[in-house]
Amino acid sequence: MLRQSLRSVFTLTLICFMIGGLFALYLRYAPSSQSQTNALSQRMDNLVSTINNLEQEIAAYEGIVQTSRDELAGLENQAQTEWLRKLQEELHGAKLRAGLTPVTGPGIVITLDDNVVGQKADPNGDPNAYIIHYEDLLAIVSELKTGGAEAIAINEQRLITTSELRCVGNVILVNTTRIAPPFVIHAIGDPSILADMVTYGRLDPLITEGFPVSVSEDQALILPAYKGELQFKYTTFS
Amino acid sequence: MKTHRKTLAFSCAMIIMGMLLSVQYQSTNTAERELYQQRPENLIAMIRNLTDKRSKLSLEMADLSNQLADRRNAFEDQTLVAKSIEQELSKLEIVNGSRAVRGRGLEVTFLSTSMVQYSDLITLVNELWASGAEAVSVSGVRIISSSYIYYRPADGGLEITVSNQPITWPLKILAIGDSNNLEKGLTLPGGFIDMMAFNKIYPTLRQKEALELPAVNLSQRFDYLKEYVAAENTAAQTGTTAAQGS
Repeated sequence: MLRQSLRSVFTLTLICFMIGGLFALYLRYAPSSQSQTNALSQRMDNLVSTINNLEQEIAAYEGIVQTSRDELAGLENQAQTEWLRKLQEELHGAKLRAGLTPVTGPGIVITLDDNVVGQKADPNGDPNAYIIHYEDLLAIVSELKTGGAEAIAINEQRLITTSELRCVGNVILVNTTRIAPPFVIHAIGDPSILADMVTYGRLDPLITEGFPVSVSEDQALILPAYKGELQFKYTTFS
Repeated sequence: MKTHRKTLAFSCAMIIMGMLLSVQYQSTNTAERELYQQRPENLIAMIRNLTDKRSKLSLEMADLSNQLADRRNAFEDQTLVAKSIEQELSKLEIVNGSRAVRGRGLEVTFLSTSMVQYSDLITLVNELWASGAEAVSVSGVRIISSSYIYYRPADGGLEITVSNQPITWPLKILAIGDSNNLEKGLTLPGGFIDMMAFNKIYPTLRQKEALELPAVNLSQRFDYLKEYVAAENTAAQTGTTAAQGS
């Protein structure tokens, strides 16, 4: 009898604990959408939902672009005449050089992450000193290019001629797509040259400062194709 | 009776647990939380960029669906097919820098007396792409995905090189695109021009109606890279390797 009541007390405790936890979470997160109906948070909600919608639409459009490009590539081998086949081969080579096809080859993988440990140890310090900035990524990408990288991708975003790296606030964007740490950079080329370029380059101070960084060589990397658009409004041929 | 109550208690606990998990999942969606931490003006800038990207993507979708329509006519009309391939090819020729191009845009000039560093030029080129540049050249060298800006020792000092070509003075960087947007991208508060002024470097910006950019002088060749073809499609792979060699 005593044992049974103990058990139900235990069960009750557990349930109360859970309700408590739930309520705490509710209090913590729900007000952002309910009680704080002031103008600023309303505006933030609108902006964030606009961004979410745009990002979803863009992902859907990129999917359609990708499917159409694949479908076009599938039609490539149907050429009947010699001159048309030559033209298609030229197109195929141009797509490969532009970054519109997935590629494979030897190279290196660099991973780098924000210095969370360092920041925890220094709670009053400047948080900017412990995060990876777009300038770091730009420097690493430039070093990889100097080292003869033939293809580069950051967090599965393939870099092409017109690709930019930028930050808005502390959000990093590549090809107008948000990327978040940990950052994984794939580069195809001579693995030891590429590794030396970055290890003695931008990674050196990052490692000294305690950022979690790793560089590994790989004999068969696979990099995705560029998924975005190629639209030119101002450029004509001379 | 006891078992009934226990079952009820257990199910309650489970339901609560489920709700708890879902609430937690929703609220800690990191991608969204990250946005809430930004200033509204930054979010507005992001929306502008995303809207621009969306409209470009919809143009790209239209292009591709026209090409698909043309190429499905392959059996009837080969000239139509050729036309559609040439259109696609001309876009890729801009990206690959394989042909000289012209258009309106922005000219950035540094005098030989300026202490501009190679890393400043890397930043500048990146800013120009971010501001919607369609083609860029640095000191007469067309920039493509594999171009690199670096330095090497020369005459007891260092000289900046672009894909191994030493730059010449006055140093001119040309970018084709919407010249207003290109200029705005560089002159934002805290942007490239501010950063240069901080180092006492004062490049001049000139919007131009007609810029001429050369083609790349060496065509890109690959020693390590191959097209990746999913394993089941080996027939296509041999085809593409042949195309690559050409």
